[in-house]
Amino acid sequence: MAVHSYTAWFNPIEKFFDNALLPAHWVATVPARLNEWGQLILSDRSDLEVENTRLKQESLIHRGQIQRMADLAAENLRLRLLLNATELLMDSVLVTEVIGVSPSRNSHTLFINRGADDNVYAGQPILDAEGLMGQVTSVFEHHSVALLITDSTHAIPVQILRNGVRSIAEGTSNYDRLRLRFVSPTADIREGDQLVSSGLGGRFPAGYPVGSVLNIEHKAGASFIEVDVAPAAKIDRSKHLLLVFTSKDGGEIGPSQ
Amino acid sequence: MKESGVGLAFIISILLAAVLQLVPVSGYLLLLKPNFLLLIVIGWIIFRPSQWGIGFAAATGLLADLLFRAPIGLHVLLFSTVGAIPLYLSGWLVYFSLIHRCLFVFILIIFAELMRNLLLLMWAIPADYNYILIIALTSATVWPAIDRLLLNINRKR
Repeated sequence: MAVHSYTAWFNPIEKFFDNALLPAHWVATVPARLNEWGQLILSDRSDLEVENTRLKQESLIHRGQIQRMADLAAENLRLRLLLNATELLMDSVLVTEVIGVSPSRNSHTLFINRGADDNVYAGQPILDAEGLMGQVTSVFEHHSVALLITDSTHAIPVQILRNGVRSIAEGTSNYDRLRLRFVSPTADIREGDQLVSSGLGGRFPAGYPVGSVLNIEHKAGASFIEVDVAPAAKIDRSKHLLLVFTSKDGGEIGPSQ
Repeated sequence: MKESGVGLAFIISILLAAVLQLVPVSGYLLLLKPNFLLLIVIGWIIFRPSQWGIGFAAATGLLADLLFRAPIGLHVLLFSTVGAIPLYLSGWLVYFSLIHRCLFVFILIIFAELMRNLLLLMWAIPADYNYILIIALTSATVWPAIDRLLLNINRKR
């Protein structure tokens, strides 16, 4: 255990096994896929039409919002150029699907169906429709393994959207909890505050939703307060995710699908 | 069942346990999911103690380590230690009734989960003690199916 924890000697074995395990993950997800297929087959035509109409309306609303976002992004870019900002970050995304999850309660990892073929790289951030999910840790030819933000070995630099106070959100091995580290008892933080990635450390791009403050506990005599955070992403439910490709200075970025 | 048939049933049972372990579940169901690999190890040790012992438990533990992406050795140690108990008591366990074996599995899983959490704590991984009893209960609930299956395989020799 110590050798595995403090050296990389077992990495080739783990990589080989991750690759070999892919068919087992495929078989394990057969019931879920059969359920989806059954729901599709048994669903009423009128229900599908109603859902289709709703999705079209949602798509229209989102397109309108994106147009406004594009305007704001362009304005932001101009302002940054005026300020001689050295780094301009532009993001592109690639849709991916979850093909397996870790069976352990303590290891929060996912298998996704994009790999080196799609230019996926280790350390790449992953999002779902609601917020940050985690980062890619191992890349194979056709699939990758991602570590979720709720894993107890994961930590992400965050800031409070309301006032920019910085902290670090670490996983707790619980799918619906993160914990903020090193928050001073005098820090301006309230229940319900939205947390976004701060971009510090350079691993995660800034500004993506991470979660919201759920509970703040002041312990007498403790140097820091305990802050529980509910992740924004549906960590144990999302099936379709987005891989974020980040390019500095607006250079060429990865695929956007 | 012929020896070759038992060998095949053994391989299928391990593969099936691994696949069941990988079936994705969300929310609280994940916290209730029994450790199928450990149950199948206990089952084979109870019904075939002369063939499947500590070495087999350790090998399956290694498989579990790789499956769970846990520090290699954690489940090897856990499965070997837990597997030693039914191996020691195997002469008696085969004469127990199904209810008694369920009770035995219930207690064994509590011990296994406590040991697992203790080992995880050594690696500063948060442990969830709240669910130990429920996991033991779900394990004891699925045990009759495993028990009957392995008993039938080993009876028809």
